[in-house]
Amino acid sequence: MSVPVVAADRVSKWYGQVIGLNDITVDVRPGVTGLLGPNGAGKSTFLKLITGQLKPSKGTIRVLGEPIWGNPGLYRRLGFCPEQDSFYERMTGLQWVTALVRLNGLSDTAATEAARQALDTVGLLDAADKKIGAYSKGMRQRVKLAQAVVHDPDVLVLDEPLAGMDPIARRKVIRLIKGWGREGKSVLVSSHILHEIESMTSTILLINNGRILAEGNIHQIRDLIDEHPHTVKIRADDPRRLAHAFIEHDGVRSLTFEEGAVVVETGKPDAFYGQLTQIAASGELGEVHEVSSPDDDLQAVFEYLVK
Amino acid sequence: MSTPTRSSVPAATSESAVAPAFLSSAWRIYDLSLGQMLWSRRTVFMAFVVGGPVVVAVILRLLVTMDLVSGRGMVDGRPIIVDGPIIFGLMIWGFYLRLSVPLLGVFYGTALMADEVEDKTITYLFTRPVSRGAVLFGKYLAYLASTGLVVLPSVMLVFFLVVPLLGGDIGSNFPSLVTDLALLTVGLAVYGALFALIGAWFKRPLLTGLVFIFGWEPIVVVVPGYMKRLTVSYYLQGLVPHAMPQEGLVSTILSILQANEVLPSAAVSVIGLGLILVVGLGLATWLVERREYVLEQ
Repeated sequence: MSVPVVAADRVSKWYGQVIGLNDITVDVRPGVTGLLGPNGAGKSTFLKLITGQLKPSKGTIRVLGEPIWGNPGLYRRLGFCPEQDSFYERMTGLQWVTALVRLNGLSDTAATEAARQALDTVGLLDAADKKIGAYSKGMRQRVKLAQAVVHDPDVLVLDEPLAGMDPIARRKVIRLIKGWGREGKSVLVSSHILHEIESMTSTILLINNGRILAEGNIHQIRDLIDEHPHTVKIRADDPRRLAHAFIEHDGVRSLTFEEGAVVVETGKPDAFYGQLTQIAASGELGEVHEVSSPDDDLQAVFEYLVK
Repeated sequence: MSTPTRSSVPAATSESAVAPAFLSSAWRIYDLSLGQMLWSRRTVFMAFVVGGPVVVAVILRLLVTMDLVSGRGMVDGRPIIVDGPIIFGLMIWGFYLRLSVPLLGVFYGTALMADEVEDKTITYLFTRPVSRGAVLFGKYLAYLASTGLVVLPSVMLVFFLVVPLLGGDIGSNFPSLVTDLALLTVGLAVYGALFALIGAWFKRPLLTGLVFIFGWEPIVVVVPGYMKRLTVSYYLQGLVPHAMPQEGLVSTILSILQANEVLPSAAVSVIGLGLILVVGLGLATWLVERREYVLEQ
């Protein structure tokens, strides 16, 4: 029997008077699919509906052909990495992932082994016995990924998995997600950064104001995106030295400084991210701690698209 | 650019459609939650609540050792002798059954799900193949274990500190300790189930619970009529005399407090408490299964 991974049929979700999602009908097919939209667009609401945390106010959501709300058995085949940075801080990464996968019915021994493997997959095995409270932001993101994949699910739902990661960790996770897609898992990954989504997949769902604006190939909107400057905020040991290196990059349109960070506006985000990753990997200009992209530029693109 | 390797995925199998075993899931949730509960921010509060009687017992023991308390007095011209077992009985009634047990029940019971929602960790439990009811029940078991692990040793400490005072005898009073421990466990279980229901039902469960234990129960229990049957303490009262000395000051005080009201028999008490436990937990489970938990962004 062949079914879409996720089938949403005229789904709406209200929070009191506020509309979270508005009459969405979409089928998500196997492979890696990017859910792209600015903050507040409805991405997290959509993912919470898909993962059965919320119930649609109207319409139906089916995952692997079954309704997900009130169907806990389906979570054997579904892994979810939430956006929120929340943990049992006193547990070690290994204890936490083990405890969660035990809920899938694994024995203690099998759960520990599966947790070790998952932590190894996301590059956290060395820190497995450290308390999560002592993890860096990037490590916390990766341990969330580990709990999502620990039971080897068919469908992975990842809500902003790259948020707050440094460039090297970001590259590793992108590689992992692409790898899971190649292995045959269905991955639905959300982001408000086009470049991130583009580096993982060419299949995207564009969402804004609770509606799916477009679905399909990323290249169709890529040209539109390129007309708008892309803003990147880089928190680093020495933002001024980094800025000096960026000035020579021909895509950079402006540079501004904030406390411990430099904010770059670029017209060539691909090339810029490539250069940034090289700089971070070499370590010559000090450590790069965090890369983030305010969604003002993406918002501008969405405004352009819905004109 | 990655290309999907499959054009479709198999539909959910019958294995995935089968709900996992409730008790097994609850046990695993219990295992995960016990440590979190014992080391939660409420632990300090719990230590204070159950540490109070121990401190009182130590002070009392010091006073008796220093001959500052004799245990003898006069009431209405009659000589009254208060010994260790009587004081222990009063402490069980006053400190534990009327204060510590309802307080722990309200603070932990109403927070069974609320803590996970507030900490935004509920997502990890609700996206695993366990029913939401099993999550609640597992956390309820963890509440029982964690409060029991703290309350019962506190009672035993108080017993060994207080009962030998003023001529009391540990050996002959030991069976009453066992009864008291069982009674307190029942109290924790019943109050926990009731407040788990209030936690699943009301928007401000803590306030509702505090009004129940400090407003509704004390007032209704002393008012003649049937309303007292809508309290937990009424049914616990029915079991208390079996755990406490039948003669002396305690029985005098109890008879004044009970103001000629007929206490429920032990059988009625057990049935009443059992009903509150089963209905409370059952309804709480039913509500949690159907409720949406929207986390603050």
